[in-house]
Amino acid sequence: MSEILLSLREVSMHFGGLKALDRVSFDLVEGEILGLIGPNGAGKTTCFNTVSGVYRPTLGEIRFGGIRTDGLPPHRMAALGIGRTFQIVRPFPDLSVIENVIVAMGLPCYRGLFSSCSSWKGRATRERAMELLAKVGLDSLASQKAGMLPLGNLRRLELARALALKPRLLLLDESFSGLRHEEVSRLEELVRQTRKEGISILLIEHNMRVAMGLSDRLVVLDHGQKLTEGSPEEVRKNPEVIRAYLGKGEGGGSNAA
Amino acid sequence: MQLFLEQLLNGLAIGAIYAMITLGLALVYGILRILHVAHAAVYTVGAYVGLAIFSSTHSLTLAVLGSMAFCAALGVLIERFVYYPLLKYPPYVPLIGSIACLLAIEELCRLVGGPEILPFPANLPFPSFTVGGILISSTLSAVYGISAGVLLLLWFITTKTELGLAMRATSQDRAIASSMGINSHWVISVTFMIGSAVAAIAGILVGIYYNQVYPTMGAVPAYKTLALIVVGGLGSVPGAVLAAVLLGVGETLLIGYAGIPLPRDALAFIAMIAVLLWRPQGLLGGRR
Amino acid sequence: MSDYSITIGTFIAIQAIVACGLNVIVGYAGQISLGHAAFFGIGAYASALLTTAGGLSFWTALPIVLSITGFIGLVLGLPSLRLKEDFLAITTIGINFIVVSVFLYVPFFGGALGIGGIPRVMLFGERLRGTSFFLLCLGFLAAVLLISRLFTRSWSGLACFALREDEAAASSMGVSPVRFKLVAFVLGTAMAGLGGALYAHYMRFISATDFGFPMSIMFLSMVVVGGMGTLWGPVLGALILGVLPEVFRPLTDYRMFLYAALLLLMIRFQPGGLLGETSVARQIFTRLKGGHGR
Repeated sequence: MSEILLSLREVSMHFGGLKALDRVSFDLVEGEILGLIGPNGAGKTTCFNTVSGVYRPTLGEIRFGGIRTDGLPPHRMAALGIGRTFQIVRPFPDLSVIENVIVAMGLPCYRGLFSSCSSWKGRATRERAMELLAKVGLDSLASQKAGMLPLGNLRRLELARALALKPRLLLLDESFSGLRHEEVSRLEELVRQTRKEGISILLIEHNMRVAMGLSDRLVVLDHGQKLTEGSPEEVRKNPEVIRAYLGKGEGGGSNAA
Repeated sequence: MQLFLEQLLNGLAIGAIYAMITLGLALVYGILRILHVAHAAVYTVGAYVGLAIFSSTHSLTLAVLGSMAFCAALGVLIERFVYYPLLKYPPYVPLIGSIACLLAIEELCRLVGGPEILPFPANLPFPSFTVGGILISSTLSAVYGISAGVLLLLWFITTKTELGLAMRATSQDRAIASSMGINSHWVISVTFMIGSAVAAIAGILVGIYYNQVYPTMGAVPAYKTLALIVVGGLGSVPGAVLAAVLLGVGETLLIGYAGIPLPRDALAFIAMIAVLLWRPQGLLGGRR
Repeated sequence: MSDYSITIGTFIAIQAIVACGLNVIVGYAGQISLGHAAFFGIGAYASALLTTAGGLSFWTALPIVLSITGFIGLVLGLPSLRLKEDFLAITTIGINFIVVSVFLYVPFFGGALGIGGIPRVMLFGERLRGTSFFLLCLGFLAAVLLISRLFTRSWSGLACFALREDEAAASSMGVSPVRFKLVAFVLGTAMAGLGGALYAHYMRFISATDFGFPMSIMFLSMVVVGGMGTLWGPVLGALILGVLPEVFRPLTDYRMFLYAALLLLMIRFQPGGLLGETSVARQIFTRLKGGHGR
């Protein structure tokens, strides 16, 4: 029984005269991994930002779990069940790694008056945070200041934080960029594991091998418009897609810098 | 009508002086994003040094030049000792440093020059004349003439010279300007020198205009000029100048002509909040 | 302890309370507030008016004072949420000037003469003065520190830390920036109001000039010098900046200069504060502990 979890209808994002997104529509089915690809500047991160609440779309509708969500602020989207990572990592540098995760675990408590007064230093909280860190392999670094971590670890921390939200939909914004080979494989495994636990995933990825390998389906954007969507095999062979990438000087199997 | 015009002219003079004081602050903010409150201390020192040189040499020219040189050096000293090392810290750190500087320099002026109000009995070699029945005294025409000259010179420097180009580039992005071969630290120091020298001129002008030089003469402009650079649009030097002139005229007309008993200090901030509500980026502030 | 030390101690305790409030806003939540003395003043005037013209006792007036100060903090905090950085900084300075002008020019607040004849605090039928008042202030300071500590351990406090570190990331994790910035603001201004009330009943006479922008900078300096975002930082800062002028008192004429110069040197060479992470004091401390770390 596959329900549509996320649906975009004619979503447009205009910045003055610039149409960063132009009538983009697609659906994400519950339990799938949907890849959002396209050459640089295609509007992928803008699309993420409209879904996660950072931007209010100029036109169009977004529905999540049946509820209309375009225009809701990011903290409300988190409460509704969307977690995200950021293309340029955003750790809380002066907080420790475990505290970074605990912030996300506080989601149920932030809305209430009394609950937000209760303590976060309890053992149960700490244990659950350690479990999440162990899942991404950061448990040995729990008390380190997050600002000191190298990029690979920071990307894993972003994932741990997003998972701590117990989201229904996870938005991965170029989480694989800048990672070494082994780190990429490990992260791929983590993503697959996450989907097995019932979390749907929408990912942006420049690394074609990863995008093709992980995604059940792909949506291709170019110049703010949806070019096509389909399975990896279909998309790979689509001449328009190839032209869009080649036109920007990129080949089918390139990695982003 | 006569009174209105007289007050208008007074207001313009005050506005012109505010503009010269605010100019240095706006230049520094534009290039370092630091609220250089200590600028008011440089202005005070300018008045004192000018008075000291004038008292011993009786030459206004020497007083002005000497004071400009001294204050330029003081400005660079503040920049190198206080601001530059603190750039990587959050902005309230250099702000506290700036205010501590202002206090320390004011106190030095008091210790060296005495707490009393000193007179500055100089004659400004400018003509006085009558226009349409209204007397424009030599002091008034001096203020107009000098401020117009300074502003014109500065406009020329910033728009027509390479130095000006370097200054504008450095204020947009220090790192990139550096990588293009601009010695950004040197440009920053020059900016301080220019701003401080102009403050010295303003200090001397005010000292002669009101015939008063005293240690806390910087206190009033210190915080008012902060409101002015916001009203003008943070980062816009012409905006700051415009805001300064408007405030000078507005203050004088409201309080001197219309007789509305508004507190002078708060007026600048009230105007600032009013402008921000209407135009959040300030009068001439644009995208950066 | 001599009368003189008690006086200094009382001032330091009161200022520490206000500085703790500022620390919540600036240190914990990372917001800018350069007009904190305005709320110190609002608390002082509120308590003064309620106990003189209003005829209430200090204790009955106190919850009202805290509510008024917190409420005004909320009202003034709301629009400032829309401003960024330097605009916000200068607006908070403007708020300070405007509040002081209101106290000076609106006749209800006594104008330039201020408000006098403020009664002493009564506790169990005793008039508190000297040592007993000092102990009362210490008691309130302890309460404020306890509340600060509980705040850092609460989800609210953690939300504020997250906002301070990275607002966009915090918001994507369910932390509403508006709500928690306001929480910090209301808590911080209420603490300042408490300090103001104590100040009014200590001095028994207040006027608008006590609460101007220079006082705001004093409070900010206390927080920064002591160590922003630490629990004891504001107390240490209040202690140092409260004791310094007294240390220099024998040098009468030079005292303001030395005070300013010392503040300048402190901020120049220990901008992280004395209890801050990279401070000399901490380094010496860890070295003394044989490098066992925290």
